[in-house]
Amino acid sequence: MSLLAQLNDALSDVIGGAQKSVVQIRDGRAGQGAGTIWHADGLIVTNAHVAHRSPLEVVLPDGRTISASVIARDDERDLAALAVEANGLPTIQPGDSRRLHAGQWVMAVGHPWGILNAVTGGIVIGVGKQMPDLRVFTQDWVVADLHLRPGNSGGPMIDTGGRLIGVNTLMTGPSVGAAVAVDVVKDFLKRAFNGASVRIETQNRPQWV
Amino acid sequence: MLFIGETNLMSDVLTQLSEDMAAAVERAAASVVRVEGRRRMPATGIIHSADGIIVSANHVVERDDNVRIGLPDGTTASAQVVGRDPSTDLAVLRVNGSGLTPANWDLNKEARVGHLVLALGRPEATVQATLGVISALGEGWRTAMGGMIDHYVQTDVTMYPGFSGGPLLSASGYFVGLNSSALARGVSVTIPAVTIARVAGTLVQHGRVKQGYLGVSAQPVRLPSAVAQQLNQETGLMMLAVEDGSPAANGGLAMGDTLVAMDGHPVRMMDDLMSMLSGDRVGKSVPVTIVRGGATHEMSVTIGERS
Repeated sequence: MSLLAQLNDALSDVIGGAQKSVVQIRDGRAGQGAGTIWHADGLIVTNAHVAHRSPLEVVLPDGRTISASVIARDDERDLAALAVEANGLPTIQPGDSRRLHAGQWVMAVGHPWGILNAVTGGIVIGVGKQMPDLRVFTQDWVVADLHLRPGNSGGPMIDTGGRLIGVNTLMTGPSVGAAVAVDVVKDFLKRAFNGASVRIETQNRPQWV
Repeated sequence: MLFIGETNLMSDVLTQLSEDMAAAVERAAASVVRVEGRRRMPATGIIHSADGIIVSANHVVERDDNVRIGLPDGTTASAQVVGRDPSTDLAVLRVNGSGLTPANWDLNKEARVGHLVLALGRPEATVQATLGVISALGEGWRTAMGGMIDHYVQTDVTMYPGFSGGPLLSASGYFVGLNSSALARGVSVTIPAVTIARVAGTLVQHGRVKQGYLGVSAQPVRLPSAVAQQLNQETGLMMLAVEDGSPAANGGLAMGDTLVAMDGHPVRMMDDLMSMLSGDRVGKSVPVTIVRGGATHEMSVTIGERS
């Protein structure tokens, strides 16, 4: 098999795995966002700007539509944690954004313009706070030369091992996408569940059973 | 090594590709510097020689003084502007240095359409990268300012802010050329390694790139049919103005003359004339053919130098 054919198989393998943990998030109006299942018992991470209105509905990868509640939201870091009443959900493995380097292959899954589970790919342009087009923000980003569009927000950016390295958040050009680095997401969730941050509004804590 | 699961074999190819690209970026980073030479965002440059010659895009080096270079080892050094060639958008800078890692230029034109390539930039402390393919390769071309680019290289890489002056890197680790966002609108065009070697050599030696000068303004016109048949040439360049005391005036060219040949080459369009005014013809007397009053005349002009 040619190297290119092997690459194509590898790409669809990794994507197929990641798509299982991508959800649609709807607020009953036009447009929708994406989200990523972080915990099998119904914890979903997405962008804060995707989870601004309620009531929220989540369409799971198996097709079920269920209502979701916002358990934490941080508008500054543009992250939100949602809870749905479900268990045994397919999760994504979190990666490590500090170990990413310029040149590594990454992909994003989401619903650009409402096209479900669409994929875009590219390489890491750079990682960190010092990105020239993102100076207004102070957190770590993963910036890649791939195509994010409305509907990609909240979906996963993954590495070649299918691990989550960021939450797709914005585009800074037609072919430059930026994701909130997964390490920022980990910190957000840690603070949310410890109730440590004043910035985070925490409500309706899920009943873990 | 990186993850577990039954898809290992397949994904290994992808992970291998990904790691190879990151490794190529890291290796090439030793020859990629930050150029602080304008008010807006810093841009990128390429180390051309171990003793401190750096090439960059002319349009990102807006000032002649207080140009700073961010070296791969993280230190910053002040640079002197050795020379500029606005016609090819190249600038050569010099830092006091030794033991720098010069670019591994692709002088043998190994790039082929479809090859994976990376554009690198260092607008900040670390090197950044975008990926693309070589979209088109072609013959030599002239920029709007008359600069000769030895061959055409077009890619679909994204020019991220601050990437101008940085290299286009091939999968095999060669520097295919230097990316400039100022040379062509809408497409990513790369100045090939041979052009950089030539222009940088001239700038280091002379501080500038010599360009020929005639002192005329001209426009392409259709030749009378009899002349066209005789010369086997449809168009020539009509002199709309000839500057007093200019090389053209001294050679006897006058307003209304139509230039049809120079130094044995037909002159049909402006590009033909621009390519005749190369630096090596400065100071030389060259034969020209003009059409005046419906007949061809031979004369000779000593090419001046554009100041």
